Amino acid sequence: MRKLYISTILYNAGKFALRVFALSLLVFTISRLAPGDPLYAYYGDRVEKMSVAQQEQARERLGLNEPLFIQYTRWLQGAFRGDFGISYQYKTDVKEVIAARIGNTLILGGLGFLLIFSLALWLGLFCAWREDRAADRIICRIGTVTSCVPEFWMSLLLLLVFAVWLDWLPGSGAYSVGKERDAADRAAHLILPLAVVVLGHLWYYAFQVRNRLLEEVRADYVLLARMKGLGGKQVLYRHCLQGALPSYLSMMAVAFPHILGGTYVVETVFSYPGIGTLAYESARYQDYNLLMVVSLLTGTVVIFCNMLARTVSGRIDPRTRVQGFTGGGEVGDF
Amino acid sequence: MKKKFPVLSFIFLTGIVMFCFACGSLMTKDPLYMDLAHCNEAPGKEFLFGTDTMGRDIFSMISYGGRISLTIGILATLLSTILAVLAGSVSGCASARIDGFLMGLTELFLSVPGLLLTVFLQAVFGRANVYSLSVVIGLTGWMSMAKVVRTEVLQLKHTDYVLAAKCLGGGFFHVLFRHLAPNFFPSVLFIAVMNVRNAIVAESTLSFMGLGLPVEEVSWGSILSLSKNALLSHSWWIIVIPGVFLVGTLLCLTNLGNYMRGNANRRHSNLGCRKYD
Repeated sequence: MRKLYISTILYNAGKFALRVFALSLLVFTISRLAPGDPLYAYYGDRVEKMSVAQQEQARERLGLNEPLFIQYTRWLQGAFRGDFGISYQYKTDVKEVIAARIGNTLILGGLGFLLIFSLALWLGLFCAWREDRAADRIICRIGTVTSCVPEFWMSLLLLLVFAVWLDWLPGSGAYSVGKERDAADRAAHLILPLAVVVLGHLWYYAFQVRNRLLEEVRADYVLLARMKGLGGKQVLYRHCLQGALPSYLSMMAVAFPHILGGTYVVETVFSYPGIGTLAYESARYQDYNLLMVVSLLTGTVVIFCNMLARTVSGRIDPRTRVQGFTGGGEVGDF
Repeated sequence: MKKKFPVLSFIFLTGIVMFCFACGSLMTKDPLYMDLAHCNEAPGKEFLFGTDTMGRDIFSMISYGGRISLTIGILATLLSTILAVLAGSVSGCASARIDGFLMGLTELFLSVPGLLLTVFLQAVFGRANVYSLSVVIGLTGWMSMAKVVRTEVLQLKHTDYVLAAKCLGGGFFHVLFRHLAPNFFPSVLFIAVMNVRNAIVAESTLSFMGLGLPVEEVSWGSILSLSKNALLSHSWWIIVIPGVFLVGTLLCLTNLGNYMRGNANRRHSNLGCRKYD
């Protein structure tokens, strides 16, 4: 039994490595097929003033002249040593650029995830309890509408109302100039982006909880528990919730990268200095080294969370091991 | 309990589509003309929905730009549907090895967040236009549908009539279009409608961020790309009015999609909280 367990871990680790490898190959190929000249991103308009020989020299030094395959192996060798190359735009180590920003994204995404995780469960329970009554219908209706509002437009509306008209909250950045250590100031800057992240995703997950619970509520054991004299609320909280929790947990494991990815647009609108704005900038200025690492990083988190979800649901509910878990990749990906 | 057909959504959607595709005769102004004497004008008689920061008439821009947004939505969905049906049915019919490879590929595509992948691919295509943007969005939107098609095909391929068609010498495409497609069509239709919705959202998000269509090429997203200037000048109409059209369209599409999803099973709840508590 124990032996089996270790081999499973090894098997999964291998699968994980293979997927990350395939992802890096994909990302690298796409980035090198791109038409823009990375030399421009590095030297800016000065490229035009350089002589052809100088351009050639610079290309040689940055390793842009080698065949694609050699470039990839070289990049991979560097990556194993923790060297992901230089950001053409920031002219420093890619790792440093990302390290300076990742904290902000993790705060926004992590807080958003925690809020969505707890609120969705609560809202789902509430709606399942009040099935088809006015409150449930209103919440579902509001949910349908908010799920149709693109995140960037929701951000704009909130900015318009709270930052421009009412002037209650700051509208951009992660902190005011010179107040980098002021926690209250940072919190004030976090409110609007966080609100968009939570409002944008909350409904979908709450709705999933509600539907799952409504299935559970129709099972026979509920009838039995009721006949034994348990109250409706007790049955819902003690029995039905327990049945719905495993699938909720694995769904939320898949959801984590989705929510993290969802912060990217929000960050851009609010000029919040995180990975999202970095991805956006690097796409605009053709900083492929940076874009590659950002995509790779995000992709790795997604692959990890997907595998985690599968393992969790397989542990709790053996049926999913056979059928193959089909969670994730939902319709509302954006 | 049968679901009610969303009449209101259907009427609204038809209205918006007609408003956009009849833009030639409805436009009161040239949507591309920058009337610098009337920048940032609030909604009024001459400019029904006001003008943007570059002096263009928003009413005409919405009508004209909607056509482009809807076209991208439909083109991208066509492409992603074709890809999904091919990938899903090949994966469902083929040997375990090919199936594993295709599903691995699907997982791989799913593992990069949709928007990042779109941005990435668009960067490869260079300067965006309607077709390149449709292709990029289509290329990034086929995965979830492919999974559904595969699951359906796996169930269908062992039915007797598929076996009979194969025994009579029916080729892959014959079986696919005559026997498999009609069966998985309903479940795919819902995802297709949702894909139209997602494609429109993707287009508008990309254009808004300045990574999609440029400002000169009017679409619902690129109208909104001027909204950062609009925030500074307190011109709410530049942000709110095009957004309402966008959200309205998306909402109608969602309602129609949900209708197509089929009827929910509604047995009576065993919780019985209504009677006893």
